[in-house]
Amino acid sequence: MPEQEIICTGCPLGCRVTLEFGDNGDMKSLTGNQCKEGKEYVTAEFKSPVRIFTATVLVKGGGRLLTVRTDKPVPKNALKELMFAIARVRVEQPIKAGQVIIPNVLGTGANVIATGSIPKLASID
Amino acid sequence: MVSHDIDVVVIGAGPAGLAAAIKAKEAGLDNVCIIERGEHLGGLLDQCIHNGFGLVYFSEDLTGPEYGQRFIEKANDSGVESLLKSMVVKIFPDRRVAISNEKGFTYLSPKAIVLAMGCRERSREALLIPGKRPAGVLTAGTAQRYVNVNGYIPGKEVVILGSGDVGMIMARRLTLEGVEVKAVVEILPYVGGLIRNEVQCLHDFDIPILLGHTIVEVHGSERVEAVTIAKVDKEWKPIAGTERTIECDTLLMSAGLIPENELSRMAGVELDSVTGGPVVDSSMETSISGIFAGGNVVHVNDLVDNVTWEGEAAGVSAAAFAVGKAPPRKSKVHLKAGENIRYIVPQTVIAGEEVNLSMRVREPAEKVRIKVGDILTKGLRAVKPSEMVKVAISSKEWENPNGEICELVVSCENRR
Repeated sequence: MPEQEIICTGCPLGCRVTLEFGDNGDMKSLTGNQCKEGKEYVTAEFKSPVRIFTATVLVKGGGRLLTVRTDKPVPKNALKELMFAIARVRVEQPIKAGQVIIPNVLGTGANVIATGSIPKLASID
Repeated sequence: MVSHDIDVVVIGAGPAGLAAAIKAKEAGLDNVCIIERGEHLGGLLDQCIHNGFGLVYFSEDLTGPEYGQRFIEKANDSGVESLLKSMVVKIFPDRRVAISNEKGFTYLSPKAIVLAMGCRERSREALLIPGKRPAGVLTAGTAQRYVNVNGYIPGKEVVILGSGDVGMIMARRLTLEGVEVKAVVEILPYVGGLIRNEVQCLHDFDIPILLGHTIVEVHGSERVEAVTIAKVDKEWKPIAGTERTIECDTLLMSAGLIPENELSRMAGVELDSVTGGPVVDSSMETSISGIFAGGNVVHVNDLVDNVTWEGEAAGVSAAAFAVGKAPPRKSKVHLKAGENIRYIVPQTVIAGEEVNLSMRVREPAEKVRIKVGDILTKGLRAVKPSEMVKVAISSKEWENPNGEICELVVSCENRR
């Protein structure tokens, strides 16, 4: 039977939870967790592993970077593609934390937002 | 010039210092001043662009810059003053503080001081790695600053020594930036950082983690060309014949943090040889009356939320001291590290006060019972050296030791 192991990150125990699947791909069993929260975490992590994406983007005319993140978790296998999506972005100063930099990035439904502020003409180098 | 009208001086504008200054100001003091050697408030939160900050304190998942900004705004709004680009060069036991900055040299003479200098990374020199001294060897935190603040990528092929949180976070960050992270090499048989970082920074990107391995040689004379790694035995000595060479141009180190206490030492503050930070009581007061400390300068925390709380506690106590309202120093209870406990902060507790104990275990263990003398027992599913154990003791749980100084042993025992 096909198996998948997922490590629970809910507590320092870090249970290695094994999922077994039937031939039709349905989950048959979930073993190795030691609590209810662990089962919930692993089930969610199996169905749709998501992460908050964080990175930096370049600022036009400024020597510094703007720090950004997605405002909701995105599929973890989209993280590398998101790096390419932000690589060519040049944002205009000023920027306020929370401002949307890329709406609905790659159709994920998440916006890339600024996590820092950059005042107007912060630097001219 | 000696200024006498400062109530509280806070040294360091990272999360601990900001929290301390805000609390001291909120207590109604006129003059609370943060002294910071960097150019802005917030310490190194600006380079920690990843999320996971404030999960406990705000019940929100914030990035470092966002977490820092909340406290910077609060400090500014509440009227905390700050001296930036200013280096405290000495603290005297009478609480005079000597400061050097662009304007020259000055002294402040505050009524109370909060030490919030944070910690530093263990360097290559501290780790005694043999080999030449080529370019391309840097700490994970330095790499983090280069990548996230300055926009430099430090290399193309990276090996990381140590599995601390910053190292794992940089493994992910560099991978996303197109760098090949060839391995994380950890001398211990378990990962040094938080489990969520192991999963989300290493496993998510298939970065190999070599437990029970260390680096025995760094190759290259101008620039790093490769590292030789080897398995270690139980005494952490490399095992002959297990050597293997990994080509790389960069070596990052993430092998522990050390509280920054040069100033504390100069002032004569008693330091704990295990934590590397000042010995503090439950009001976060050090061995010198009127000098308080909080955050990573006291002991290296796992979460910024805990740093903030410690800074707040130090700020509240410093404010009370500054106005002469420090609670009377009743008897103190000394906490002693027993079975599988490496250290406990605070080291002493003012009897009868409500207190949050932070402790680290020596070894990972499952199904354990934390015991604080005979006054408190708490069962835990699992403990790891990398994750702080927190225990709250309410004021009523303390016995009345009738003014006598007593000792309580804190232990972490197996339940089986």
